[in-house]
Amino acid sequence: MQEADGHYAFDFYPLQSAEHTRIHLFFENLKAGRLTTTKCAGCGTVLWQPRVVCPRCNGDAMEWVDLPKEGALFAFTVVLAGAPLGMEKDVPFVVAVVQLDGSPIRVVARIDDAAYEDLHIGDPVALRVIRLPDGRAWFRFAPTR
Amino acid sequence: MRKVAIVGTGMTKWGVRGATYKELVQEAGKDLFDDVRNVEKKDVDSLFVGSALVDRLAFQAYPAPIVAEQLGLTPTRMAMRTEMACVSGQSAIRAAYASIASGLSDVAVVMGAEKMNIPSFPEIQASMACVLDREWDGVNGLNAPPYFALVAQRHMHEYGTTEEQMAEVSVKNHDYAATNPTAHFPKRVTKEKVLASPKIAPPLKLLDCSGITDGAAAVLMTHGDAVKRFTDTPVYVEGLGQAQTGSLVGNLENLTTWLPLKRAAADAFRMAGVTVHDMDLAETHDCFTISEIMEHEDLGLCPKGEGGKFAVEGQSRIGGELPTNLRGGLLGCGHPLGATGVAQAIEITRQFRAQVPKERYVGGEWGMCHNLSGNANNHAVMVLRRGG
Repeated sequence: MQEADGHYAFDFYPLQSAEHTRIHLFFENLKAGRLTTTKCAGCGTVLWQPRVVCPRCNGDAMEWVDLPKEGALFAFTVVLAGAPLGMEKDVPFVVAVVQLDGSPIRVVARIDDAAYEDLHIGDPVALRVIRLPDGRAWFRFAPTR
Repeated sequence: MRKVAIVGTGMTKWGVRGATYKELVQEAGKDLFDDVRNVEKKDVDSLFVGSALVDRLAFQAYPAPIVAEQLGLTPTRMAMRTEMACVSGQSAIRAAYASIASGLSDVAVVMGAEKMNIPSFPEIQASMACVLDREWDGVNGLNAPPYFALVAQRHMHEYGTTEEQMAEVSVKNHDYAATNPTAHFPKRVTKEKVLASPKIAPPLKLLDCSGITDGAAAVLMTHGDAVKRFTDTPVYVEGLGQAQTGSLVGNLENLTTWLPLKRAAADAFRMAGVTVHDMDLAETHDCFTISEIMEHEDLGLCPKGEGGKFAVEGQSRIGGELPTNLRGGLLGCGHPLGATGVAQAIEITRQFRAQVPKERYVGGEWGMCHNLSGNANNHAVMVLRRGG
């Protein structure tokens, strides 16, 4: 199926195939249940988001590495109004900054299967991969207790 | 480097306006050229247009010639648009400053304008969400209110700030907005009303958030040797600072201390040769109530974590440590992105010229403007001094 069929100007999700992006491996790994990113082969920096050039040393040799699939809520809220086009039907949804376990990396993601009122800073969450109707993948997290 | 001054001001009514981007620009231009003596359109050699979302919300790219057409200007030195989201207006003033100080421009119009309200509210929100990294942050439904909700939650967690303290910021800025007929929300609100307003992204409620607002604001700027032709009360730009970090929310060094604000303020005050304690009044970017609380902390007006107490004590009201957002702030005036920074400079200018209602008149000699944009990854600070 063609990616982003139709309304590209308001499609928030990245185009994911090799036809469109050089980090297509991120999305292929995601579909296999893995959260990955690039590590600079030159200076060893683990980069988030995945890059094709290292912002620290300017090297362009990259290795793909796995990131932890578990993390903890660093901050979170629930969107009750004012959702962007295409997300109105998702309201209410929880969005958070997740601190990945044993890693300096923090990622922004939605938290599924959770009511805002039940969550606390520090709560453990785990990766959840979702698929869009056109076959693309994206990552969210969900509470593990 | 030449001295640079603001020598004229023009504003539209702000709100949900039955007026297009081009009509808002015409209104602000009329108010500006009615305000300044001895100016002819042909004298304006440069034009700086601060507009953030004009491409999406007015479906109009390349706005500088659009503005020139509406105002009857034919710039011969410098013409450009500045796009820095919510800092676009102050960026236009900075660009005009640099061009005039260097001698490249002599007389410049700075126009900040934004048409925010279109028939589809979700499209407005989608365009706002693109101010963040659309593919990695905006895609998750993160947008201005939920982002600043994360900031507020962390500030409450780390420093004990309360929703009641945040509400005090909204009460103050609506009190002052009630004296400002150009404000979108010129009505007082009580703390109870703020706390009971609809939840948008907890802990933020509707009255913790600035509005989706249409509006324009314009200033005329020139160099020190030319000011007397236009005004008896020039307002000199004495200091400027700007600092920025990267874009991804997860990579921000600190959510609850705005390090770029500290850097921008240090640079601006060093350039002006004064400190924040020399300011008679301030405009700070209260896009959300938590923002003003953190700005007072990171400007050094109170210890870190005590911005809520500072608000409750009335230290940011007239008679307090530093009167802040006397035009009503973004909370009271609304926030047409590109117009906000220009309107802040207009408030300081009109205060120095005693052109504001007595209920909010402070006057004085020194004032400052602060804007932030995006996920607070960009901050700009400008120090102004009354001349004449």
